[in-house]
Amino acid sequence: MAEENPGRALEIIKEFANIGAGSAATALGTMLDVDLMNDVTSCNIMPLSQVPEWLGGAEKIVAGTYTQLCGSLKSGILVILPSESAILLLKHLTKEQVDLSNLNELQRSCLKEVGNICLCWYLIAVSKMVDIDMIPAPPDATVDLLGAVLDMPLAALGAKVDTVLAVHTCFKALDKEFEGYFLMLPEDQTLKIILDRMESKR
Amino acid sequence: MKEPRIVGIGQLAVCHSPEQLSCLGLGSCVAVILYDPQTRVGGMVHVLLPKAPQKVDMEGKYADTGTRKLVKEMTLNGAAKDRIIAKLVGGAQMFKNLNVQFANIGRFNVLEVRKALREFPIRIVAEDVEGDRGRSAFLDSSTGHVTVKKVFSPTRVM
Repeated sequence: MAEENPGRALEIIKEFANIGAGSAATALGTMLDVDLMNDVTSCNIMPLSQVPEWLGGAEKIVAGTYTQLCGSLKSGILVILPSESAILLLKHLTKEQVDLSNLNELQRSCLKEVGNICLCWYLIAVSKMVDIDMIPAPPDATVDLLGAVLDMPLAALGAKVDTVLAVHTCFKALDKEFEGYFLMLPEDQTLKIILDRMESKR
Repeated sequence: MKEPRIVGIGQLAVCHSPEQLSCLGLGSCVAVILYDPQTRVGGMVHVLLPKAPQKVDMEGKYADTGTRKLVKEMTLNGAAKDRIIAKLVGGAQMFKNLNVQFANIGRFNVLEVRKALREFPIRIVAEDVEGDRGRSAFLDSSTGHVTVKKVFSPTRVM
């Protein structure tokens, strides 16, 4: 369907992205104990090879949290925080100075938790919309080159995935703005199921 | 100096001195870098997965077919098989605590490349592989030196 009617599919994905990112923002706001507003600034369906460019280059330093869905739907999910956003969040949560090159145990765990919460709440909202359970495996986080972070989903799903549902969202809180990216990498069959379900629910 | 040519995932490139080649943001991917010091021909392939399936879509994407094809391209460009030396970069495990299939594909990539190089045989003179950090690799074909950059770590020349 994505091929037959890209405009229509994009519209569905936008709705999907907005609700997913909104849900993640609410959860993150609760965790940070602040009112968090979010804007979905852009939303795209793109081939995996274009993702590094869209996110600012393979050599950009980012914090990435990755997991895969368990069960009948096959998809990878990646939450990417640019390094400035990750520092801002960690500072607020741990009340410590943050050096991404040398994170302590608490900060590393915090980072994983932020990614985990964003990811899970995004999935909760999306799975309610399409009425299919989406259960993620426990995620893991790292701070590294964007290209290197993207290698994992590429290698794990690479042969079967070429479409990425990419959402760029901007959170506003703490008198500051920070950015986050949600990347969902469904296998073709899974993408079709999601789009078909969304279509029939409207 | 001219900007190095970027070798993307699944791509393969051969160059002559003084051209430069690079692979940016290698995670579990491996950059196989070959060099003939006499003719100063250099080559690089950016492999993603260890073994090619029956029907190969892109030879450069897989460690076994990619390595073999690179050696062939090198010899077509004036390198001699018995002079070629190899350097490997990449093959990290980016998400150590992830419990999914393929979690440590980097290691398998490295093993498969070594196996393919042994067929010729081509000697591996330097490696910066595995671990849990991403890398970028740059080949200077005028000297054969490979520069490896890691985030938050000093740059290494090998």
